[in-house]
Amino acid sequence: MTVLFGTLGWRPQSLLPSIRSTENLERVVFYHSDHAKSREARSKVMEFCRALGVTANAIEVSDAYDLLHVAGQIRADVRKDRAAGADLRFNIAGGTRLMSSAALLVCILEGIPATYVHDETYQEIALPLLRISYGEGLTAKQRDVLSFLVRNRDKDFTETALAKALGVHKATMNHHVRELEAKGAIARLSDPADARRLIVKPTPGMELLVG
Amino acid sequence: MSGETVGHRTLIATMGFDERHVLPSLRLMPYDRLVLVAGRETFQSPGFRRLKVLEPGLRTVRVDPFDLMGALESIRETIRRAAGDGPVRISASGGTKILTNAAILAAFQEGVEAWYCDPDPVRLPVLRGVSLAAAFSPAEGAIALALHGPIRYDRLVAAVTARAFARRTVLGAIRSLAAKGLVEFERDDGTVLVRPSPRFALFRDQLREVPIKT
Repeated sequence: MTVLFGTLGWRPQSLLPSIRSTENLERVVFYHSDHAKSREARSKVMEFCRALGVTANAIEVSDAYDLLHVAGQIRADVRKDRAAGADLRFNIAGGTRLMSSAALLVCILEGIPATYVHDETYQEIALPLLRISYGEGLTAKQRDVLSFLVRNRDKDFTETALAKALGVHKATMNHHVRELEAKGAIARLSDPADARRLIVKPTPGMELLVG
Repeated sequence: MSGETVGHRTLIATMGFDERHVLPSLRLMPYDRLVLVAGRETFQSPGFRRLKVLEPGLRTVRVDPFDLMGALESIRETIRRAAGDGPVRISASGGTKILTNAAILAAFQEGVEAWYCDPDPVRLPVLRGVSLAAAFSPAEGAIALALHGPIRYDRLVAAVTARAFARRTVLGAIRSLAAKGLVEFERDDGTVLVRPSPRFALFRDQLREVPIKT
């Protein structure tokens, strides 16, 4: 069974083609803003789903102007459905630019097939996304190190402390840290209290990659 | 920023009619060369003229801001050209929603740093240097070259093993392409056929870029 996710703006037509075209559609989950026109569009989509006998959940995103917050919320929802064994699809055509971009970000990171709908023709267009998690661009060890740093973002770790915390040799940790730094996933910063020490910190947004 | 090679730093920014969506990026990100990606009407707008006064040397790339796939290809091409000269960053804050999404997708596909500054800067979790082509193994690239339509599974395996790949590697690569949603299997009279999925064509370029044994 397939769960279709979508972002909705003022025009229900941006989401309806995906509802029509999804095979074995079990449920539709869509995000919309608290704007009156967006709520109006929500009613029309709900009505359409009711007519088809498809369950629909509309989620009003109260602050549709915070990219990472919206992406985090969407990602938690898609992961829940994926864990329950559903096939997922995402239509990113509607909603504010930020809401649509947040949805695209989640699709890239989680490897979810995504489409958008052309503004004039209402033709569905598949986006070139692979069904693999973007985090696979890191090795398992690199993911471990990055996850640890993200979980402990508020603490300061030197490479040596990091090696000790994760139970690996200093030289091994240096290799992982250099690789992660080259990929822009972490940065080595001078310790304000001791300029000779370098503190390893995840770069902003990495929570979405390994969180 | 640490971990980058020294060279000509290029900032590629998407823009609509309002240059104020682009200005925070210019203020926050160091660059030597600015490339603006926008639709035709943007380049005739007062916002663009004001920006041109500030940055007379800026380069422009014209796209259809309502055609996601076309804009994606143009931005990817722009990134590739600029990457030869030094580090590239993307600012995806201006222009239509479609143009922003094309820029984000291009940044992930080409492995270049991307920011969304509207107004606060948000760095997107792109892994620098990890391009989409890196998601494919040489054996997957060889399979893509041999796959033009439905083909018998055993014939496909034979065609790719003939290019000096171990049978086990080829079988694993076929499974991997299926997991990525790029090939599908069908049974026809007891024979298993492998065929490219509808999404396969979207990745043909990246698959062609995978270094293959000769």
